[in-house]
This record gives sequence, structure tokens and C-alpha cells, in this order.
Amino acid sequence: MTKTVNASGVGNAIDRVEGHLKVMGKAKYASEFPVENKVYGQGINSTIAKGEIVSIDTSEAEKQEGVLKVITYKNAEKLKTFDKEMTAIGTDSIAPVLQSNKVNYYGEYVGLVVAETFEQAQYAARLVKFEYKKDPTAVIDFETSKSKAYSPDNGSNYSRGNMQSGLSEADVVVEQTYNTPIEHHHPMELHAVIASWDNGKVMAYASQQMVDDATIAISATFQIPKKDVRVVSAFVGGGFGSKLNLERHVVMAVMATKMVGRPVQVTVTRTQMFTNTGLRQQNEQKMKIGAKNDGTLTALSHETLSHTSTNMEYQEPCGMISKMLYKVPNSEVTYKLIPMNIQTPFAMRAPGEATGSFALECAMDEMAWKLKMDPIDFRIKNDTQTDLHENRPFSSRLLVECMRIGADKFGWKDRKTEPGTNSKGNWLIGYGVSAASRNSPFQKSHAKVILDLEDDKVHATIQMDGTDIGTGTYTIVAQTASEYLNIPVEQVTVELGDSNFPVTPGSGGSWGAVSYCNGARAACENAVNGLKDNRNIPIDEEVALAELLKRNQIKTFEATGMAEPSEEFEKYSVFSFGANFCEVWVDKDTGMYRINRMVNVGSAGKILNPKTAYGQIIGGMTMGAGMVIAEQTLVEPNFGNFITRSFADYHVPVNLDMANIDVIFLPEEDKIANKMGVKGIGELGITSVAASIANAIFNATGKRMRNLPITPEKLIDAKVEPGISV
Amino acid sequence: MRPFTYTSATNKDQALQASTKTSHYLAGGTNLVDLMKEDVERPDQLIDVNKLDYKQITSNDKGGLTLGAMLSNSETANNPEVRKNYPLLSMAMLSAATAQIRNMASNGGNLLQRTRCPYFFETSMPCNKRQPGSGCGALNGMNAKHAIFGYSDSCIATNPSDMCVALAAIGATVEVQKPDGSSRMIEFTDFHRLPGDHPEKDTTLMEGELITAIHLSEPQLSDKYYYLKIRERSSYAFALISVAAGLQVEGGVINKVGLAMGAVAHKPWKLMEAEDFLVGKKPTKENFEKAAEMALKDARPFEANKYKVEMGKNAIVRALTQANDRKV
Repeated sequence: MTKTVNASGVGNAIDRVEGHLKVMGKAKYASEFPVENKVYGQGINSTIAKGEIVSIDTSEAEKQEGVLKVITYKNAEKLKTFDKEMTAIGTDSIAPVLQSNKVNYYGEYVGLVVAETFEQAQYAARLVKFEYKKDPTAVIDFETSKSKAYSPDNGSNYSRGNMQSGLSEADVVVEQTYNTPIEHHHPMELHAVIASWDNGKVMAYASQQMVDDATIAISATFQIPKKDVRVVSAFVGGGFGSKLNLERHVVMAVMATKMVGRPVQVTVTRTQMFTNTGLRQQNEQKMKIGAKNDGTLTALSHETLSHTSTNMEYQEPCGMISKMLYKVPNSEVTYKLIPMNIQTPFAMRAPGEATGSFALECAMDEMAWKLKMDPIDFRIKNDTQTDLHENRPFSSRLLVECMRIGADKFGWKDRKTEPGTNSKGNWLIGYGVSAASRNSPFQKSHAKVILDLEDDKVHATIQMDGTDIGTGTYTIVAQTASEYLNIPVEQVTVELGDSNFPVTPGSGGSWGAVSYCNGARAACENAVNGLKDNRNIPIDEEVALAELLKRNQIKTFEATGMAEPSEEFEKYSVFSFGANFCEVWVDKDTGMYRINRMVNVGSAGKILNPKTAYGQIIGGMTMGAGMVIAEQTLVEPNFGNFITRSFADYHVPVNLDMANIDVIFLPEEDKIANKMGVKGIGELGITSVAASIANAIFNATGKRMRNLPITPEKLIDAKVEPGISV
Repeated sequence: MRPFTYTSATNKDQALQASTKTSHYLAGGTNLVDLMKEDVERPDQLIDVNKLDYKQITSNDKGGLTLGAMLSNSETANNPEVRKNYPLLSMAMLSAATAQIRNMASNGGNLLQRTRCPYFFETSMPCNKRQPGSGCGALNGMNAKHAIFGYSDSCIATNPSDMCVALAAIGATVEVQKPDGSSRMIEFTDFHRLPGDHPEKDTTLMEGELITAIHLSEPQLSDKYYYLKIRERSSYAFALISVAAGLQVEGGVINKVGLAMGAVAHKPWKLMEAEDFLVGKKPTKENFEKAAEMALKDARPFEANKYKVEMGKNAIVRALTQANDRKV
């Protein structure tokens, strides 16, 4: 089929179709829906790490003006609870809350106050008095609790070849431990919900990344049919994984609306975003790498020690990237978890890769240094077109090209090999590089298209329950419709985030764009082909959409579509790849440093919209830089609370911290990945940034900074590596 | 937030008369309102003093400038006279917080900024400053950002201000109105206090007193100056260590020095011994290093904030060097 060139179709850097709404404040986020007669709920958090509630005095709170209800475990609705201890949590897990007097961590919800106004609810929440019996066995300190770790029984431990023989073949061995702290997602939009209960039916405007899973979780938690639950999540102001699963404020809101008979809004406060909406857990990663003098890798092991909560299990797959990134015949990946009285961790942007690549790619840099090889040459030497973990080829893998093109753009050849030899005034200058890879999943996704003919123009409406988490889903789905219906994007309306719409996998795991757009493509193709079929028009004959409707003598037409991975897809490993280059300037006396510039090269199939894709990559890079600069949540070792409780002390990067950033996408289409040839990029940008900065700091100073974040105080304390004089 | 009454005072007397044991004056509110939201500050009355006429910068009889207490940090730091005559103060003020906060924050309020100690902020934890007698959580807790000088067993918190470090270096007098309508002057070095047994008191202000002005004496350190703020990110972060340094050099010899550190004690830490040492000396790296050694020799760091000693010395040398190297 020949096609006319479409300036707003897939691949064009058009402005965001939802951009105007956002700038005008008209894009409605969960707490902004005009629900009549609504009241406000304020969650109350526990102030002990482990123990029992002995008594609750609600009298003072209940006396306050505007207070409608104080809900605690004593009067809460009975909900479905977990059948066993340490259930592994997923995105559709139930979220029981206020079901017993037990406290499992500091900050856990122990109550909800419902009042006419937000201020009344917040004030009254402080007046509810809880008396606790503290359990002194609370596990809150990672360092002193390592002996309590267990190996999770989830099949994630892995080995190939023989690690010991791999190490004995090696001429050089690097064995190091890398630590990453607790981090928080902290999307700009606070988690929020407005819930109503009407004759056993739930309506929830909720900030969720996965609408379908949210309806499953609500229906399972309240033991009501899924069809009686509707979730609307039209715009999500960032999620980064924290809005994947159903958090307990939503359940409390549903419970409260049922109890007070009015719609209830619950907005999680910024401080509660630390304690009640998930976190990336602390990881201690032990790396062991063996290589021959010529740079050939012989062995690689990646041991991760993390924590989960004392009643639920989550394990970040830090070792995933070590299984597949390089050609190493002998490999081992293991995990251990310490059950701690800290909130259950959950997926945060690039779970596994963001932290795992920091350990792997720093260890690779350490090995290159020991081998006296250029870090890029060393990685290229160990490149593989076969995924040795799955034992199947990559659908496409341009890691070497990312490295080479990036090196050229960045000016890698000007890098001084010896640390401390590139300086300017008080600054020590260093270059660093790191490789990136991220699985590019594709999941079954449905969409509906409605065509309306008016004045010779066809207007298309696409509907799906997929969400826009700030990345521009509205835009890329509109471009997909524009492409496959061959109409300008101005004639397309996209409607997202409503559980009444066709089911998608939701936004997460870098599968959103791939799945949504292929679902929309399928619906549009079905529409066009259906209209042609009806009139016996050959499929490959190009007929304008308006003309098609006219020939069918109809003004409106609907079609649905579904896309899912092909059989061929299953025979390949489908990943996006990338490389990040970084130049840092380290002040030799104060420990302060500046990330001066970064070049990021990505190979991620066809880029749907270079403008939104660029935004996602620089967002990821900024988050990666945040991992290095200062992001960390600290647990008070005597009480178990987080001492970082606002943006004043949880330091995300500010504009001044960020470098000149150059983002390059290699021109590519991966037709094995899916018909559109696209791959995920949501998590590619964050992966590799941390290691490239740490490696640049070594190149500048001769100091190996193996514990994130790399703060001035740590840099001042750190010693230059043996054998290096700076 | 707890319910409170709000009174907007239109003149000094109204404000002073409205004041009670449990009220607070409200200027920019950038610190006070945050702490009220956290339930740390619990005034039952806020007396808004923004309409009071303390928003001028005027010349005073000491040949210096007087800064109105209700003038914003932004307007003060960007005032041409302040920039010209007290550039160290301007530089320190502009390193603080964010542009938005500086636009709201007042000069008087800056002097009353409360500590960033996390135990102070979390009402379920012990803190003698917030709740006298409850204990100091930081003493045997997380104290990487705490004091290395002048602390007591009851409090190891630091003063978070940047502006105050510069004021300690260049010298100033704080004018306050007493509830009886009279006024008094407080030397800046006496304005903040060490915690001792009463960490709940940050300053020597008496109940009901209202800051109206900061008097600066004749400018002497306006040519060679530097404010070094070591922090975890480039803006909106409190200092790990800060140093305000001003020098007057004539004929190759230092004849006047202003030197103070921030983030090391319960008050801006004026380095008087180091200042005295440097007067009459040549502005050399060696002398700066000696001054730095002298300044840190009595430091009593905890395990977690030992870095402040090395960082502090480096920061003093760097700030003095940058000040001395400044082209006049």
C-alpha cells in the first residue's frame, strides 16, 4: 500500500496534543475532579516501628467542628487480608488496611479522620491519641541485621557455567561491594483519590499507573465484583512505579465513603509519600568479576542483599542486567532479603537496572582500569549478540554502536587515562562511561476507535484504559491513529485512563508506549480494513478514510483492536540498549562536584516522537544523576522513622545540578519487537547514569565511590585508590 | 495545623501590645508556617508585622547601612548599596534557599530561623529544643549534620542561616523593640546563644521583643570577600559547612579580617582567634592554613560528622584564598 506522507504520524517531533490542557491547568488530575458533596480524609501514621496499639482515644478529635468519622481498626470495614505471611506483592495485590492493632513499621496507617474540610481533617488527625506497646525486636537497622537475611523462594537465583572455574581461568579478579540507599519515587503529583460508594458500586478518581489492576485490587480487597468498580486516572503527574499498585489511601477512601455516605477525597501528604507509597530499598551488591589479560571475561557473580517488610515480599532484580549484558560463560546471580520493620519496597523506575547497572558498570570500570584497557574497548570486547541468560538471540542489539557513536560525539579520545592528570584551577576533571540495557516488554493491549464523518472530514476517537504518566501517551497514541488512519493528528482525540475503556497493561516496566500504540494500531487497521471489507475494496488499495465511510454510506464506525507479542517475539530477547558519557569537575578541597556535560546514546527501535522521547530520557538521566548527587532516605536507627521527610531534606537534583545534556537515538526499527518497530525508553535513561558519573569521579580523583549517593562529605573522607597519586 | 487567631498589626505599638507568651510575630512565614504545619510551632496567635514600616535600607550614623527587619532577603541582597558596601552579606544571602523563599523571607525572620535537626521536626521523637526535658535524639542518633563546637548534652543542633554567618563575619547590631515601647541594641555575636541547658532558646531575645533593624557599621571588607557554601546540591540545600571571609589588605599585609563559619554550632561561629592571628600577617596560603588549623583545633566532632573538621579547614583556606584573589 502506498501512503501519502503524514506530517503528524509516527516518528514526527510534534508538540504534545495534551500540552495545551496542561499549561492551561485544564488537564484533570485525580484530586481535581469536581465531585459534589465531597469530604476529606486524612490518614494517621503510626509512631512506632513494631508493636501493638493498646488503646485509642478519639474523643477529642470527634468533638472538633466538621469531623464526621474517625476510622481505626476498631470500627473499620472488614477487608480481604493476605492468606499467608510474606505474600509476594504485585500490581494487582489486595491492600488491606486498618485490620488489626498490629504495627509493622513506623508510619503505617493506623487511622483515618474524615471531615468536611481538608484543614479540619488534618487537625483532628493529630488529636487522635494512640497508646502503643512497643515491641523491642523491631528490625530497623540494615547494617546490624544482615544475619536475618533469607533467600527468597521465587526462582530468581541463577547460575550458568561454573563460577569457580571461571575465576581460576582469570588473570585478574575484581571483587567489590556497592551500596545504594533507600530512595523514593516522589512524583510531583501527590497520590490522591476521590472515591464514592453508590449501591455497592465504587467510583474512584485515582492517580494510578495501571487502571485495570487497580479495579482488580479494589474488587478483591472489598470482595465485590470487578464490574462494580470503576477507576478513572485521566492524567497522572508522574509515578515512577509508586502508582503501579493500589496503595492503602485508596482503600481507606473507599471504606470511608461507604461509612459516611459521601464522596471522600484522600490526598497523601509529601511526608506520607515517604512512608505509604512504596520505596526503592537499600541494596548491598557484591560483585566478583574475572577476566583474562586480553580483556576476555571469564566469570561474573552478582550477589544482592536487600530488605523487604516483615509481612510482604518484594525483591528488586538487581542482578538481572548481569545475566545478559556481556559475553561471560560463567555467571551467578543471587538474592537475599532481610525482613525489616520498614514499609514494603516496590518497583521504582528501572527496578533492577538502575541499581544493578551501578554495581555492574562500576565493577566493569574497575576491571578495565586493572587491565589497563580503555573502558569502551573492554566492553566491546565482551559484547554478545546472544542473550546467554535466555540462550536466544537479541532481536536487535546496537550497544557497540551506542558506545562508538557516543564516544565520538562526546570526545572520549581526549580522556586522560591517569586519574588526577586533567585539572583546571581547583577542579579535577574526569570522564566516565557506562553501558545500559533495559528489557523492552510488550503486553497484550486493547483499544477502540470511533470514527465520525463530518463535513468531509473524519474525526477519530481512540479509547483505552492506558494512562499518561506525564510522558506524552496522549500524543504518541494520537500520532499512531494519525499514521494508521492517515488523517492529521488534529482530527484525533485520545481518551485514556478509564476502566470502562478497553484493557491495556497500564504504564510501567517500559511497556506502555509499545503496548498502547500497537493496540491503537490494531484498532485503526481493523477499522480501515473492516470498512474496505464491507465494500469489497482490496486491502492494499489506498482510499482516504472519509471516502471509505462515504462508500459505506455511514457517518460513524467503530472498531476494536488487540495487539500482543508474536510467536517470533518469544524466540528473541527484546531489549533497548544505551550508553551514557559523563564529564565531571570535582573540587579537590571541598568535595563538591559538577556534572559538566553528559551524552546519552540510545538504541530503542523506532522513536515514536523524538520530542517526548527526549523528555523521557533527560528525565531518566536527571533521576540517575539524583541517585549520585544526594537522593537518599535515612532510617533513624533507634526509632525506625525516616529522618528525610520533605523536599528540603530529600535532595533531588535542581536545574543547576544538571549538565549540558545531549541525547541521541540511533535510527532503528525492530520489527521483531512488534509491528511498529518500537521499544520502551521509560527506564533506559536512568540506567547507566549513576555508574558513568561514579566512573568519571574516579577518572578525575582516583577515588572509587562505591556507596551512593556521592556527597561532598563522602568525597572528603574517601582515599585515593592504592597505586594512584593525585 | 492547629487553629490560631490572626492579627494584622498596622503599627509597632499594636504589634507589641498584641503579643503574648504564646503568640508569634509573622513576617515572611517561610520557616514559621512550615513548622506550624509540622506541629512543631504551636502559637495560638500570629501577629502579622508585614505592614510595619521596617522595610527601608538607610544610612546610619556609623557610616554604614541599616537594614529594615521586614525587608525581604531578596530586596536586601540585591540592593545596590548593600551589594557595593557589603558584598559578602549579599553573596551569603543569595546562596540561601531558593529565589522564591528569599522573596518571602524577611531579614528579621532570617535571624530567627530554627534548626534543621530532624529530631526537632518529628514530634514523636525526643528533642529538648522542641520539648524541653524530652532528651536529645541526635546525641546518640543521626548526627552527621550536627554541631562540632559549643554543643551540650541537651542539644547538638546547628543554626541553619547563611545570612547570619556573613553578619558574624562583618559585625552587626540588632535593634529590638521591647514590649514596654523602648528599644535595645544587641551585638550580633550576642544575639544567638549556645544551647547549654536551655536549647529551647535560640537567641537572647526576651518575650515579646520585636526585631526592627540590623545596623551595619562602616564597610571595611568590601573588596576582598568570599562566601563558600559546601552543600549537597547547587541550590535549596543547607550548608554542610560554610565560611564567610572578608579581608582588608594594605601594603601586602592583612589589617582587618572577618571570618565566620556556619553549620558547625548552635550559633554562627565567629573565628576570633583565627581573625586575630591573621591581622598583621601576609595573605599567604601558609598563614591561611595556620588560621584554619587554629579555627578547628577545638572541634569536638561525632563519628558521623568528623568530615566537618577536614572540610572545615579546607573551606577556610579556600574562602580566604578566594577573597584574597578577588580583583579589586
